[in-house]
Amino acid sequence: MQSRPDGDVGVTRRSALAALSGGLAATSGCLSRIRALVGRNEPTTVSVSIKTLPVDQDPYAIAIARQLSAWFEAAGIRASIQPITAEVLYRQTLVNHEFDVFVGQFPGTFNDPDAFYSLLHSTYSVESGTQNPFGYTNLLMDNLLERQRRETGSQRAETVSRIQRRLIQVCPFLVLGFPNVIRAARTDRFSGWNGAFDPSPLNLLGLDRTASATRLRATTPDDRPMANLNPLMSSYRGPSDITDLLYDALAYRYRDTLYPWAATNWEWTGDDPLELEVTLRDSLTWHDGQQLTASDVSFTHRLLRDTSLASLSETVPTFRFRGRSSLVERATAVDDTTVRIQFTDCSRQTARQLLTVPVLPEHIWTDRTDRATVSGVDVGVTTTDALVDANIPPVGSGPLEFVSVSQGQTLVLERFDDHFLETSEETGVPSELADGPAFEELELEFVGSDSSAVNLVADGEADVTALGVGPTLASRIGRADGVSLNIDRSGAFYFAGFNTRRPPLTNPRFRNTVARLVDRGTLVESVFDGYADPAVSPLAGTAWLPPDLDWDPSNPVTEFLGTDGAVDSDRAHEAFRAAGYRYNEQGRLLQS
Amino acid sequence: MGVVAVFVEVIAVLSLMLSVSLSVVVGPDRLRAAATDLPERLRMAVKPIGFLVGVLLLNSLVRNIGVEISWIIGTNITEFIYSLEGAVVATIQSLVPGWLTLYFGYVYVYGYAFLLVFPLVAAMLAAERRYLRHTAFAYAINYTVGMSCYLLFIAYGPRNYMPTLVEPLLFDMLPRFQLLTSQVNASTNVFPSLHTSLSVTVALLAIRDHETFPKWTPVAVFLAVSIVLSTMILGIHWATDVVAGAVLAAVSVWVVSSDRVASLVGRFQSLYGRWR
Repeated sequence: MQSRPDGDVGVTRRSALAALSGGLAATSGCLSRIRALVGRNEPTTVSVSIKTLPVDQDPYAIAIARQLSAWFEAAGIRASIQPITAEVLYRQTLVNHEFDVFVGQFPGTFNDPDAFYSLLHSTYSVESGTQNPFGYTNLLMDNLLERQRRETGSQRAETVSRIQRRLIQVCPFLVLGFPNVIRAARTDRFSGWNGAFDPSPLNLLGLDRTASATRLRATTPDDRPMANLNPLMSSYRGPSDITDLLYDALAYRYRDTLYPWAATNWEWTGDDPLELEVTLRDSLTWHDGQQLTASDVSFTHRLLRDTSLASLSETVPTFRFRGRSSLVERATAVDDTTVRIQFTDCSRQTARQLLTVPVLPEHIWTDRTDRATVSGVDVGVTTTDALVDANIPPVGSGPLEFVSVSQGQTLVLERFDDHFLETSEETGVPSELADGPAFEELELEFVGSDSSAVNLVADGEADVTALGVGPTLASRIGRADGVSLNIDRSGAFYFAGFNTRRPPLTNPRFRNTVARLVDRGTLVESVFDGYADPAVSPLAGTAWLPPDLDWDPSNPVTEFLGTDGAVDSDRAHEAFRAAGYRYNEQGRLLQS
Repeated sequence: MGVVAVFVEVIAVLSLMLSVSLSVVVGPDRLRAAATDLPERLRMAVKPIGFLVGVLLLNSLVRNIGVEISWIIGTNITEFIYSLEGAVVATIQSLVPGWLTLYFGYVYVYGYAFLLVFPLVAAMLAAERRYLRHTAFAYAINYTVGMSCYLLFIAYGPRNYMPTLVEPLLFDMLPRFQLLTSQVNASTNVFPSLHTSLSVTVALLAIRDHETFPKWTPVAVFLAVSIVLSTMILGIHWATDVVAGAVLAAVSVWVVSSDRVASLVGRFQSLYGRWR
């Protein structure tokens, strides 16, 4: 955070004093007065920088940032906006913690309240990575987060409600709303587009072929998948990530139900400690032809806990899957198809979330446990190859395998013919997905902006826009022939995150007052053009949301310090004064 | 329409524009002379054009790896530019009637390509060795300085920064051109505007050597002004980029016209000759 001197007054005063002190040094009484004055810190004005994605990569983020900046300005907080390309933005914010305010889309869906654990637990605040990016630390919160892991039923629901209420009070980040993602999709070659990318592109397996098409062509404004396919690198992975198609997990969550995927079934075999026995499918194969066995699964869990596999003096855990991997005490391969997993102190409900973590091949990743020598990541501590490797070509076991990539342009994947969906009859996976992909190849093509992406789909050069497009394009999509306008509520909410390591954002009272400068209703109207549902909690839309936190125009949960989408300067000043802050003559908020 | 089709379209239109304009500006007499003496003229063009192509190749190499390097060493000046000029681009955009934006869209793509290629071809056909050399050298300066700035400064254009105020008109009106521009340019390469600097360079050289192609001067100036305006009207460049581009153009024309620079280059060449 930049702190600017309060105008020029302080500087001139100081230099005047310096001159004075030279001339009047003889007078000791005056000296002590000078010392008292000079010793006082000059008050600095509050200024924050908001980091976010440019329009080409996110149709909404920068417009949100601009609106926030206007509201902050009205309260006397100087706010500047920095558009940054995705990979760099996520590295700066999530990994290196170089930000004040960060506006973006949460990289994934809150399937279970336990996602709060890695997001808010204070043990993660000092590490780099997606876990606790805001640096929030609070022992009471830690206690609640740990409790909900152990509890079940209404007890857990109550604890989760308390976590959410607390979150809204102390605001390490503000949930703004859930976008209704707008996509253009051609219907003359494939059908069944609804929910094809949300929450995971694995749902593309549910598409039906309507013509003799063999190649599914998707456009994206995100060039990260063409540069890196490492499922452990958070700065390259977004919501609805392509690596979900390359790597199988033991289980897959489809429409809120957990289905067996690489596993055929699982059974609880112990309660103290909690123990789960997972049986894998027979004849699972990696894309390079090697067998996938239980030992790959136990290896994956050791790797997630420590990517150096204890070869370095300190553990180097992954950034992604951190919350889920922390549930595991030990994972042991009993035989080729059986894994026994022992958990830390948690409920079965929480423990089951572990099954959705991708399985990595031991024979590939075991060579990536060395200390990484070159990396753009400033972690200050050791990192391993596993956390910096581009992982191209990737060897997974998923329904699609890697074919080719051209840097910054195209990624091509093809159907993996030895996948269990292709080789087995009865799989137990949801019937929509059970037939495997309806296409031979998937081509993901980088396109500079959403408007040309829609154009490619309208012209028949592409089948679908993999990421959402801006609301102004909805009418063009609607008018185009053979193209359907698909709108899916995404579970990846937009948020404004605060770096609580940097003053004055360290102060919960300050953050809480800043939160009252945000009018979600206005954001949804002016920025999202109505294509979003305002919300205050990541769990909005689930049964975990307590009714008092349900956003409604008449119940915005946090009171907005203004009317009709404009911040009332006087009320904002009053609120910050009540929080203990002061303003200078120019109406700028002072740090101290 | 794929990238190839767009390229073909641009090249076809460009050839048509060139053949019409060359016959008018260079004139039948000089063209006839060129026809009889073509091998000699092509030989004359080899060195300056070869030099320019070399510089362009070097720049494209830098451009390929440049974006990533730029994120490591460059300074993000988007916010700074905005604090300098505010919503100027939005104002300019709002002053231009809708039917004119289509004109500016075409000028941005075809007019620009034409404006750049014409002086090279015309000078070659008319055997204007000095004109050809100066044009090629000035282009090279523009590209090299521009590319260096792209490495040092990261800036997103107004359409990426204030979407609610500035509309991405080029891509809304003529979306197929986005394929072309995203092939050629990263969205962070906006400071300075090379469209502006190269167009103004051509216009300044046309004014300087008015006698060589008298009919070219008004065309060049008109096109250059249109292109400069189009960069802002289409929401691609900031006014600051345009000013920086114009300064770069003036500097490049001064460098190629300056006797002092010429004598310096001459001295280096003779030194190089002796060293060989």
